[in-house]
Amino acid sequence: MPKMTNSTAYEEKRTSEVTQLGAEKTVYRYEYAPEVLETFENVHPEKDYWVTLNADEFTSLCPITNQPDFATLIINYIPDLRMVESKSLKLYLFSFMNSGEFHEDVVNKIGKDLAVLMSPKYLEVVGLFYPRGNISIHPTFSFHNGEAKYEEIEKYRFMNRNINPQRIG
Amino acid sequence: MALGTVDIIEHTHIEYMTPELLFLGKSGQPYRGTVYIHFISEGKSIDLLDLKKYITSLRSCTFMAENIAYEIYSKINMVLEVDTLGVIVDLSARGGIQQRIQFGENFEPAKKQHVFQIP
Repeated sequence: MPKMTNSTAYEEKRTSEVTQLGAEKTVYRYEYAPEVLETFENVHPEKDYWVTLNADEFTSLCPITNQPDFATLIINYIPDLRMVESKSLKLYLFSFMNSGEFHEDVVNKIGKDLAVLMSPKYLEVVGLFYPRGNISIHPTFSFHNGEAKYEEIEKYRFMNRNINPQRIG
Repeated sequence: MALGTVDIIEHTHIEYMTPELLFLGKSGQPYRGTVYIHFISEGKSIDLLDLKKYITSLRSCTFMAENIAYEIYSKINMVLEVDTLGVIVDLSARGGIQQRIQFGENFEPAKKQHVFQIP
């Protein structure tokens, strides 16, 4: 029974932390809106674990031609005290819909926003953009919190990124 | 916007595919999908630049998801007027449910990421 009490307390706390999830009316923003991002508490901060978020419906506009771009975004992170709430992430990613963004810039922008939001131990954002002019661009952003272990992870993953070049996506 | 046409040889089987459909659902939520268009030419096809612009223009339009295939079908049918026209739209899952919407002639879409992909 005490476990039930703890669980309920946690659920109540988590519910109070987020406003988008379960909202009766969802407001979709079509211009860059980092303020919609929300976090909730990581209740297992003593344990390092990976969280992967795949976003197959990312779209923005080319800042020069205004033509739409599309991508799958893959976000991998090791949480510290806060974690990104996935509905707010969905709304945040949709908000790029009418924003003019270069592929390399937008991946860095998203990575920096998430790093500021969550202060994770480690974070990376990979953008698999659809080809334009027969060329697809796949930028990768990475971040670590300064601790030696996560710096080592970033260094390892950075140095081994696409070490055997091949077509991906 | 009006779609232009180009003159081509009759009885040519044509299938267009784009995975870059985006429109707004009734809730305002953007919907992503892949569009397949198939017809047998009666001497005309669609100008591809116009088709691209038309598909892009749907980004700011609001539809019931179930009506999106009809919207595209009717737009193309206005300029082609072929009995064999069919439009299929595969929408990204919403709430764990995937939707395939089809209007006009039925056909089996060729599923390839790019033309060089081995089936």
